[in-house]
Amino acid sequence: MLQLIFFNVTNGLIIGAFYALMAIGLSLILNLSGVINFAHGGFLVIGGYLAYALTPRLGFWGALIVAPFLTALIGFAVERLLIRRLYGRDPLYSLLLTFGLAFIIEDGTRQIWGANGLPFSVPAALTSPLSYQFFFITGYRMFMVAVVAVVVAVLFVLLRYTRIGVRIRAGTLDLETVAALGVNVRALRSLNFAVGIFLAGLAGVLAAGQIGLEPTMGDGLLMPSFIAIIVGGVGSLTGTLLGGLLIGVASGLTAVIFPSASEAVIYVMMAIVLLVRPRGLLGEEGMLS
Amino acid sequence: MIKRVGAAGFDRRALLKAGAAAGLAQVAAPFVISARGEAPIKIGLANPLTGTYAAPGKNETIGIQLAVDQLNAKNGILGRQIELLVEDSTSGDAGAAVQKTRKLIERDNVDFLVGNVNSALAQAMAQVSNEKGVLHIVPGGHTDPITGADCKWNVFRVCNTTRMEANAVCSLLFKTYGKKWHFITPDYAFGHTLYQGCEADLKTLGGSITGNELTPLGTTDFSAYLIKARAANPDVLLVLVQGNDMVNCLKQISQFGIDKQIHVAGTQQELEPVEAMPPEARVGVWMFEWYWKQPAGTPGLDDFIAEIRKRTGGKVPTARNWFGYVTIHAYALACEKAKTIEAKAAAKALADLELPPEIKLQPNKVYFRGGDHQLMLSAFLGELLQTGDGDPENLFKVNSIVAGDSVAPSVTDTGCKMNMPA
Repeated sequence: MLQLIFFNVTNGLIIGAFYALMAIGLSLILNLSGVINFAHGGFLVIGGYLAYALTPRLGFWGALIVAPFLTALIGFAVERLLIRRLYGRDPLYSLLLTFGLAFIIEDGTRQIWGANGLPFSVPAALTSPLSYQFFFITGYRMFMVAVVAVVVAVLFVLLRYTRIGVRIRAGTLDLETVAALGVNVRALRSLNFAVGIFLAGLAGVLAAGQIGLEPTMGDGLLMPSFIAIIVGGVGSLTGTLLGGLLIGVASGLTAVIFPSASEAVIYVMMAIVLLVRPRGLLGEEGMLS
Repeated sequence: MIKRVGAAGFDRRALLKAGAAAGLAQVAAPFVISARGEAPIKIGLANPLTGTYAAPGKNETIGIQLAVDQLNAKNGILGRQIELLVEDSTSGDAGAAVQKTRKLIERDNVDFLVGNVNSALAQAMAQVSNEKGVLHIVPGGHTDPITGADCKWNVFRVCNTTRMEANAVCSLLFKTYGKKWHFITPDYAFGHTLYQGCEADLKTLGGSITGNELTPLGTTDFSAYLIKARAANPDVLLVLVQGNDMVNCLKQISQFGIDKQIHVAGTQQELEPVEAMPPEARVGVWMFEWYWKQPAGTPGLDDFIAEIRKRTGGKVPTARNWFGYVTIHAYALACEKAKTIEAKAAAKALADLELPPEIKLQPNKVYFRGGDHQLMLSAFLGELLQTGDGDPENLFKVNSIVAGDSVAPSVTDTGCKMNMPA
């Protein structure tokens, strides 16, 4: 039993790291643009399918690098053409827009690549388990966690030490003042949106290695990511990271004790956090502070 | 202001044009109908076109459309052309499925209803079709009660019941792999009855169950369940989840190397998920409800494969294509036999209807059983092939084709009490 619990905590951390990657992208966009991006799962799907299309030419490693950038480019265009028009309006507008976009992306993927899933393999070097005992820690899952760790570290450093990063953080706290100081807020938001979508695209490539590549693959990953933000606290990226890891571990542990509740437990966590501490675990502190 | 006047002017002209078009259409419409003789027979299909079951849903639609086109090319049913109306039932929203069913029956006045891939949605649709007295075939929803405890005079089913699936493979798995079984089961109607069937068979065979992991439909990460399953140390890990869940589960099983420590197998397997898996995940003994690669000389099979290829960009047919194809042809045969499309008479003709060779496309006798309205179709038992056997499209090695009535429980055992209206 003890071993089972230990296994599931470790396993939960691995899953949680993945949720965190999704959630941080969502969180970036929510913080600066006030947009609840329901199409985030759709962009994840785009990332995965682009990787599938690019793999024959670039190989897995090439696709892993190029596909997220292409996804970010699409995200950039979507922000410029559609989402930007709804800034300053009730958040409900952008929510409806991204909700619709999610459907369009799902069915668009189906039109281009077919309703049936596609086989996507990862390099053989990554597929084998590290040991007989810890069979669930495969090379690929370690690699995923490493990618998440590196990306999150780079993102935090950029936000803390670069001019643009400082502006994004400042904009999260008080966008009007930042605009009054002469910062081009429109460009800042576009760039920030693209970075968020880059993370979704990257999550898509990583997910395609582990789960089936098909048009609805983003659906099951989107809700846990939203919950990670709420649990961790809106406005705090550190909180989002923590939230992702927490819900991963919580659902892993519940799977040992009461399996059929392993999905419900994250909603229960959200409810408790909202009742006891509505701003979330780290919500009151400013971003990264 | 000027703009508004302009707009009004445009509106008037547009209105005139629309009026003229509508007038023409009214003149033209009776002409078209009289040319065909009678009004077309309307077939309503409510099946998943979006969500997790979109792939099987679309493949059933392809088979249905093929049969409709074939029949229409040969003077339709009883000399009347067939019109197919398609609605998206969603993959898991029973409310939406019922709403679409009501729309098809009440507003479109369909003569015949088809659906659904999702067992729970099929059950919900059957309630409506029964209430309205519309003949209804379920092409691909497997849970037992549809032709068991909840059987209805107007409802027929093409695909297997979960109990037939369990009976077809359990003794083979027991003999081949061992007697301690662990299950990964989807947590809804289909999974529950499939698990019960396997549990009952395993008990009869003298085996034991080390655990049953109930997983929600749409589970992406199976690692927590797989950790538990391996800790229980069974002889066989039975994967009962379907569709994308099957892809995710087998993909993770192969990455964790579990298939090298425990035998991995299951009951129902389909070509859709197998094609979506990377080769290394294609492992184990399974049953297919229909498979395209059969011993040479099955009448009509080559034509069927060629027709489906034309409609799927060159892909081989799946059991879902066949379900759809059989559904429409069976309906047509029943109407021709009854010489009417009236629901009660057609239902009577459909009960005990045997499918001719070019429709059944397999060796054994295939017929609807009058007592529960369940099609007795064969079970194709065999093993998944990682990269095909000299043929990259052939991903399943068929070892035996078992007749449906040899694995189906008797009508009394299904719990069906059929009340045919007079």
